[in-house]
Amino acid sequence: MMNTPQQVKNPSSSLKSRFITRFLGALTKINAEDPISSPSPTRIFQRYRRIKVASNKSMAYSVRSRRIWSRAMLSRFRSRRSAFSGRRSSVKTTNCTTINVTINENKTAKGGLDMQTDELRELVPGGEAMDVCNLLDETAHYIKCLTTQVQVMRKIVDFCHLSK
Amino acid sequence: MQPCSREMQAMNSLLSPTQQIPLQDLQPNGNSGTHQAQIHNPQFDPTSSHDDFLDQMLSTLPSCSWSDLKSPWDPPKSDETPPSNHDNNVGFHYDEILASKLRQHQINGGGGGTTAAMKMMMQQQMMLPGRPIAAAGGGGLTMPLHNDIVDGSSFKSPNQQGGEGSVQALYNGFGAGSLHGTNNQSPNQPQHFHHPQGGNMQTQSFGATAGTVMNQSQASGSTTGGARAQPKQRVRARRGQATDPHSIAERLRRERIAERMKALQELVPNANKTDKASMLDEIIDYVKFLQLQVKVLSMSRLGGAAAVAPLVADMPSEGGDCVQTTAGGGGSLQRNSNGNQPSANNDSLTVTEHQVAKLMEEDMGSAMQYLQGKGLCLMPISLATAISTATCHSRNPMINKGSSSNHPLLQSNGDGPSSPSMSVLTVQSATMGNGGLDGSAKDAASVSKP
Repeated sequence: MMNTPQQVKNPSSSLKSRFITRFLGALTKINAEDPISSPSPTRIFQRYRRIKVASNKSMAYSVRSRRIWSRAMLSRFRSRRSAFSGRRSSVKTTNCTTINVTINENKTAKGGLDMQTDELRELVPGGEAMDVCNLLDETAHYIKCLTTQVQVMRKIVDFCHLSK
Repeated sequence: MQPCSREMQAMNSLLSPTQQIPLQDLQPNGNSGTHQAQIHNPQFDPTSSHDDFLDQMLSTLPSCSWSDLKSPWDPPKSDETPPSNHDNNVGFHYDEILASKLRQHQINGGGGGTTAAMKMMMQQQMMLPGRPIAAAGGGGLTMPLHNDIVDGSSFKSPNQQGGEGSVQALYNGFGAGSLHGTNNQSPNQPQHFHHPQGGNMQTQSFGATAGTVMNQSQASGSTTGGARAQPKQRVRARRGQATDPHSIAERLRRERIAERMKALQELVPNANKTDKASMLDEIIDYVKFLQLQVKVLSMSRLGGAAAVAPLVADMPSEGGDCVQTTAGGGGSLQRNSNGNQPSANNDSLTVTEHQVAKLMEEDMGSAMQYLQGKGLCLMPISLATAISTATCHSRNPMINKGSSSNHPLLQSNGDGPSSPSMSVLTVQSATMGNGGLDGSAKDAASVSKP
């Protein structure tokens, strides 16, 4: 696993560089906690879950609260974490209640595209509380971030395989 | 109305008889003392779509303003020469009048009900093909006119003083007048705009847009302005254009959604669909695919290369278990892997094969990605057969994906394929460009996708 200084300040500080920094930091942490050579499948599965969460979390943190989907994702992580620790944290659902009216309006207006819109809502985190217009906007940004995530992860995998 | 009348007279004095020609020229039947006659010019295209709209706008007009406006147009009515060069001046003076009227109306508390309608009309006219100047002019034109009016949605409120000069400049552009007519947010405004419209009319060939605006002006009984008179008085909504603010808001919303869809089209590959529903389907599939990719990559990234070994190592039971757990863990992988373990003990690559099979049922691309993570790739059978015939038999097992089937079967080194349609080919990703393989796999995927 390559060492990466976690304190480095990327001059460009683009989304990609922020994500890379965070994600690699999380990976080193995971590798430190978990011995690599644990062959038990449950361990592997846990590790996989942890890495996936770390990846998504890093991306959400890189975007910070600038996007609805990142905010929803972050609140989801936080609530999950607090649920683990036994506390029930109040999830930020305040946004959802006020927007329900617009959602109903849009659903009736869109007609045949409701199915797809609903499906999209499920896919994009925080999509339930968005009207179609914002949903499409958030989807675009979410797709962009996901592609960045996949790109970076793939590069890391290639690197690991090459160094094998 | 004092300031208005003063400015009207100032304008009147500034305007020489020649400058008022454009208005007169527009009317074939010469100048008449009444503005109503000027309005009903048979030359005018009978596009009555805006008539209702303007009628409703102008119904709230205070009568005094009309009389003020009427005055400048009365005296000069003889010339016939087309003063194209005077349009600027005319327009400029109109600006002052408009500005004053605007201020006045603001003081009086202009009706905001027509705002949306006006905006819609302006946008409509801006969208008209062949009206680039109008669009540009309209965009710039809106700014100076809405300076003090509260307009929440689209227009800022720039300084009116600075705007007047730009407004004058925009008069040269086609449709400036018509845009003017649509830009105002108070019912008072249209009457002012009719004059510049009249001035611009003769120099520019207005299409239906101007015609409709002119219709409004004339139907409302405004002063000269109208080059193309309209016999009808009622302003009816244009085809495809409603005057109801709700439908206008609806249209705005639809346009916004359309732009977002266009932006998404560029992000998503294979976005050549014109249908909105299929485009949405494509987007959904792509998002699912990306999420799956993240999962798969995080799986193959288990602590580096060493941890990947268990997946492909000669430990079928563990590998099978691993596949089972991941299949159970990965939310989108809803396959029960129990049924796929028959040959697990025989083949070192069975684990991968089953995983790939599962992924393939989800999405070809993700399966491709998964294989690539292991140094494998998918390729069409034709290419694989070509390579196999060219290179005889390599050490590595051949993995090949037929376009007809979704279930690749792994073969051990050198064995014949278990099913005639499938064979598995392993290609080092380094030797073949990933991008090219991606493309071919995607092509195969798109063919096999239902």
